[in-house]
Amino acid sequence: MAQEWESELLTRFQLATFLEAVRLHDEGIASAEDIDIAMRAGAGLPKGPFAWADKAGLDMILGQLQELTQAGNPNFAPPESLVDKVARGQLGDKSKRGYLSH
Amino acid sequence: MYIKKVAVVGAGTMGADICYTIAMAGIPVVIRDVSNEQLDHARQHIQELFQGRVARNKMSPADVEDRMNFITFSGDLDDLDGVTLAIEAVTEKMAVKEAVFRELDQVLSPLSVIVSNTSALSISHLATVTSRPTRVAGMHFFYPAHMMKLVEVIAGDQTSSETVEAVMRLAEEIRKIPVKVKECPGFVVNRILMSSMAEVLRYKEEHQLEAASIDQVITQNKLAPMGPFMLADALGLDVALEVANTLYQSLGDRFKPSRELEQLVAEGHLGMKTGQGFYSYR
Repeated sequence: MAQEWESELLTRFQLATFLEAVRLHDEGIASAEDIDIAMRAGAGLPKGPFAWADKAGLDMILGQLQELTQAGNPNFAPPESLVDKVARGQLGDKSKRGYLSH
Repeated sequence: MYIKKVAVVGAGTMGADICYTIAMAGIPVVIRDVSNEQLDHARQHIQELFQGRVARNKMSPADVEDRMNFITFSGDLDDLDGVTLAIEAVTEKMAVKEAVFRELDQVLSPLSVIVSNTSALSISHLATVTSRPTRVAGMHFFYPAHMMKLVEVIAGDQTSSETVEAVMRLAEEIRKIPVKVKECPGFVVNRILMSSMAEVLRYKEEHQLEAASIDQVITQNKLAPMGPFMLADALGLDVALEVANTLYQSLGDRFKPSRELEQLVAEGHLGMKTGQGFYSYR
């Protein structure tokens, strides 16, 4: 069983990675598919940040971001595109729609 | 547009790795540098890469000779005759890159494409020092360039779609995975890596943790092939700090470099290359 600091570190590392990917996507710098490919082929990540988020569930991720923001960490403010997707019921793999088409 | 002959300008490790990759794909390539010593280093480095393939039984010595014949090591501008695409891979200083772009613009045919392997400087700006801004783009390889599959293809303000397509196609021909990116500081991969690294540095400070324990947790849980502190040491902490500052100034507080990173650089501890960074290599 992971220690508490370990799971908090993993969460913050993954969320920071995901949030920057969302910003790039929302700014129109690259598509979600291409960002995932880039992080796998260029940084060796086993899974692209959008594939990770869609699998984890966008509603779950939104919850984690809200929790961290309320705890006083403004860097984790949920991006608008994420709030929108969750409001429209696009929660990732489980609802067949998220940042990627499934 | 078909790329018949490529030039790589700057015979450092990056330039040599790119040159090797192009020759492996059977495309004629001129590697240019103003220093003969640098060219000799590049030749030696490329020969070692080929010998490595021979040792692993992936190539015969005859194949190596055949591929080596695709490469011209040259300090002579006349050898750039017939080059349809030039890759600038000199040091990350704008003034040096501008000089290379001006020179290439003068000697290459007006239809040829000029790309920069920069990881941080503005493609749109580099385009303005040439007479062919629509034929200038970014072609960002990852270190080590003969192994890493990704190439970020960056369109500046004036880059034409034909130019982007030509660069994408060349990347595929040399067996890379090209991804189209609009210009922004850090492009895609470095921007995401620096963002997560800044977060992990904050976490380290908040919880007074060792770099090694953090790296271990991240690699053991298979979130990344290398922990962020090992990666920063490999990249060079001076480079990491410079990139972090650029991103901090243009994109905001989330990229703010930690005091620890600033302090290590101020003390001359730049990572693997100096024997001391977040880790000690002595």
